[in-house]
Amino acid sequence: MRNPPVQSPVSSVSERSRAASARASLTALFESMRPDLLRFAQWLARDRWIAEDIVQEALLRAWRARDALKDPAAARGWLLTIVRREHARLYERKRLELVSLDDAIDIPDHTAAASADAELLTLRHGIMRLPLEYREPLVLQVLGGFSTEEIARELELTNTAVLTRLFRARHKLRGLCGPSPASGAAPEEQPA
Amino acid sequence: MICEDARLLIGADPDAAGPELEEHLRGCEGCRAWRAEMRRLNADIRRALAEPPDIRRRSTPRAAPAWREYALAAGVVLAMAAALAVWVLRPTDTLARDLVTHVKGEPESWLSTQGVSAGSIDHALKSSGIALDFASDKIVYAQSCWFRGHYVPHLVVETTHGPATVLILRHEHVKARDDFREGGMTGVIVPAGDGSIAVLTRGRGQGQVDDLAAGLREQVHWLPEPAQPPPDPMHH
Repeated sequence: MRNPPVQSPVSSVSERSRAASARASLTALFESMRPDLLRFAQWLARDRWIAEDIVQEALLRAWRARDALKDPAAARGWLLTIVRREHARLYERKRLELVSLDDAIDIPDHTAAASADAELLTLRHGIMRLPLEYREPLVLQVLGGFSTEEIARELELTNTAVLTRLFRARHKLRGLCGPSPASGAAPEEQPA
Repeated sequence: MICEDARLLIGADPDAAGPELEEHLRGCEGCRAWRAEMRRLNADIRRALAEPPDIRRRSTPRAAPAWREYALAAGVVLAMAAALAVWVLRPTDTLARDLVTHVKGEPESWLSTQGVSAGSIDHALKSSGIALDFASDKIVYAQSCWFRGHYVPHLVVETTHGPATVLILRHEHVKARDDFREGGMTGVIVPAGDGSIAVLTRGRGQGQVDDLAAGLREQVHWLPEPAQPPPDPMHH
């Protein structure tokens, strides 16, 4: 039996050091993205602990699939996509019990707040109360910076269906804090 | 382009652009006003999403009497004072002892001989923000345990000399390796990342714990740590 070729200890050490350095920069990149990912997950899940769980699971998945990330500049979109899929997977897996948002949470009373703050709070509560089918594309677009085409691909919908959902989401929010929604009638959604 | 299409496009994406849309907007004051309104709304939505949602879980259906709040506050203060006294008065080298106590509190962990599922390993690691490059079929026990105020992964690894317990301690900082022999166990705590890794085995298995600890220092990756929920009272 032949002995395996002897590797140079110098190259082996330098390779290990390069790999360690790459791992350290990826960890730092993940760390810097964490607040964004958590905020995104919280708007999707509307629960801090579930969002924490989703982000952690997503980071583990991202870590395992780290070789797929060729360009660190694309990391944000890549990680947000993983978080969104993890959120969808969580609901598929656990079939989380659905309860009325009003029964489950206390929403701070903002009647005494200044008018501008009150409007913003109304809007935030309005977004929270949007059904997931409207909230998800809206959060992907506004918070994630995804285009309608990218959202359509991610949600496996037609572009027209995504446009309709985004339109309806804004239409509902406009009804909460703007003039009456008479000038923009919500179109019928096209099947995906 | 007709008004209905223009409004759908603008309502879906207030920053949408394109020659057809621009052409329509030049001749339609109503759609121009719609776009201005949608852009204002979008700026508000952006501001609204800039902070996480302020959801507070409803915990009590009705307010407790005022005296109960004072009693609760007094209880909390007393408990904190007691905990502080215990913390201040305890010897500094009790980490090894706490580890041995913890491991002895889970005697079933030594009994398992079959590999645990990848899901169980993930769960044990995830709560502490840790990834592990380690052959998962060697792990025969995996739990996320409440230890010294944090959830930590508690694993039992099958080695050629028998099972060895591993606890990955993100919040326990040691300056140098600490070998110990206590309560019939041999162990080592080594600094790793920002925290440390403890390896324990029953009896005298110094070589076994050394080899495992050295390998794990390379194989443990410290990901961003999640905020930890309060401990589950059903699990220590």
